[in-house]
Amino acid sequence: MRILAYIGQRLVLLIVALLGVSIITFVVTRVLPGNPAYLIVGVQADYSTVAAVIEKLGLDKPIPEQYFLYMKQLFAGDLGSSWRTGNPVTYDLKSRWPATIELATIAMLLAISWAIPLGLVSALKKRSITDRLAKILSGLGVSIPEFWLATLLILVFFAIFHIAPAPIGRISRASPPDLITGMYLIDSILTGNMTALKASAKQIILPAVTLAFVIGAPLLRVTRAFMNEVLESQYIRSARAMGIPKQSLIFRHALPNVLLPVTTMIAVLYGYLLGGTVLVEYVFAWPGMGKYAIDSINSSDYAPVMAVVLLSALSYLIIYLLTDLLHFFIDPRTR
Amino acid sequence: MSNTSPLIQIDNLSARIRNEDQTLFPLQGVSFSIERNVRMALVGESGSGKSLTASAILGMLPTGSQITDGTIIMNERNLALISEKEFQKIRGKEISIVFQNPKASLNPVRTVGSQIAEVLRVHERINQKQSHDKAIQLLESLGLPDPKKRARDYPHQYSGGMAQRAALAMAMACQPSLLIADEPTSGLDATLQQQVLDLLTQQVQHQKSSLLLITHDISVVGATCEQVAVMYGGRIMEVGPTELILRRPMNPYTEKLIESFSRSQDGKMTSIPGTVRPPTTELKGCPFADRCHMANKQCHTHLPELAPKGDRLIACINV
Repeated sequence: MRILAYIGQRLVLLIVALLGVSIITFVVTRVLPGNPAYLIVGVQADYSTVAAVIEKLGLDKPIPEQYFLYMKQLFAGDLGSSWRTGNPVTYDLKSRWPATIELATIAMLLAISWAIPLGLVSALKKRSITDRLAKILSGLGVSIPEFWLATLLILVFFAIFHIAPAPIGRISRASPPDLITGMYLIDSILTGNMTALKASAKQIILPAVTLAFVIGAPLLRVTRAFMNEVLESQYIRSARAMGIPKQSLIFRHALPNVLLPVTTMIAVLYGYLLGGTVLVEYVFAWPGMGKYAIDSINSSDYAPVMAVVLLSALSYLIIYLLTDLLHFFIDPRTR
Repeated sequence: MSNTSPLIQIDNLSARIRNEDQTLFPLQGVSFSIERNVRMALVGESGSGKSLTASAILGMLPTGSQITDGTIIMNERNLALISEKEFQKIRGKEISIVFQNPKASLNPVRTVGSQIAEVLRVHERINQKQSHDKAIQLLESLGLPDPKKRARDYPHQYSGGMAQRAALAMAMACQPSLLIADEPTSGLDATLQQQVLDLLTQQVQHQKSSLLLITHDISVVGATCEQVAVMYGGRIMEVGPTELILRRPMNPYTEKLIESFSRSQDGKMTSIPGTVRPPTTELKGCPFADRCHMANKQCHTHLPELAPKGDRLIACINV
């Protein structure tokens, strides 16, 4: 029963946080220089045309009133329209949000699969070759800019060795699968479309590897540091003094304790990825949320900016909630 | 194997710790033995090497350190030479230990019962259910109220005293012949100290085990242990029956140590002049020579060996 009360409390907090985010984003976008009306009508338009557009967009009203109108619209399920693409924002996001989720998820899984094992092994075998390799890789990962690594990978695997396809979005030399979730890999599998699956898998490899390397570095460091700390703890020493074999010391005694900080780190990184990975999306022409957000900001396209920020905040908050629930099961102290 | 041979005999044990910038010699020829079914105290100031001696007995020296000389004989095996794998069968089964902070000794994310049960399954041929039942029995025998429920609780739900009992239940689960207690009473108030010592005594007596009580506080030794070994600078200074040594200490170091723990008439506490000798070099003379009021030239150049004197062994060339 405690867990239900806890979830309820967190959901209330989630709504409060989203309201806060919406107010800040709304005010900041309106206060920043740049009026969409001028961009819409072009530099040659006369004053009355501009004024008419401003009035039509509702930008002549005071900001609190504009916000109130926006929220009313939002609660009716309408995210507004983008003047840049000419589409309703919901329509634009329908393809872009799944694109970002797909890339973020593949990148996260890749990062988990290399960083966590390497972090654990390097903590278990200090000063070994693996440990040194881990140090070098995590050092590179935190210092190399992701756009640079992306460009390097394109140069090597596409331009020189022709192993990877051209960095031109989510799929090439095949038509996209019938859309169900909007995620090409999943939709290809669901519809049994092997051609689309292969083509989209090839496209996602390089951007996913780029992100997995960059976000894997902090994950490796956290895993390594906490595994070290746990291995030196009194309870591991005590368990060893009771004759518990090494395998059980690592997997049954140490690992569950390391899982807490590591899952927190995963949540932080995944939340970051879901907010859109602007630079990598740009380099690989990936039609995701990050690229959409930047293009919208550059053209003072208010509705998409609001939508993207709110969606990012929502994903962050949901991931944190799920992580806390997970900790509820792993860590008896939180119960 | 005759029953009169000591349970464990340590002979000329020396250890070295190599750090990045220096080499330390924390144990420099430690010799003493623990008889069967006897409670023995190992006392000395911090830095004297007593905890490291315990680690050596358990084969759990910290990284960077190793035994360079000497033997630890138990049941005709030399523990200074056996492998980690062999040690796993000895730890928790033949030799067990309880540490200073019992709450930190228990894994925070696993139930207390499951931790005790795992120790039982590692050393004895019993199944999951039997091991859990036995864990509950053990908690009960240590006087934990409502043991069935308590076995399913996590360490953070235990009070310090209960955690102490749980840690002891785990250590005694497989009826070890030697229980080491590493500073079990430090940081506790006087009443709790006595409770813990009584509990330890009761457990080792009940299971016919020997106890090695490691403590810096010589005043807790008298009521608990039959034998006492006084340690300083990585060497044993004096060993013998507790009553004899506490009443008539002969080694000047033992004398000063006892003095420093007993308040004089006006309530003042005395301390031993000087500071503990850091183990940065190998000993040439008596480790206590620099602080000793009886020291002469020879003390600095001759390493005193433990020699029998009446019912005790003493390492001092002046007595």
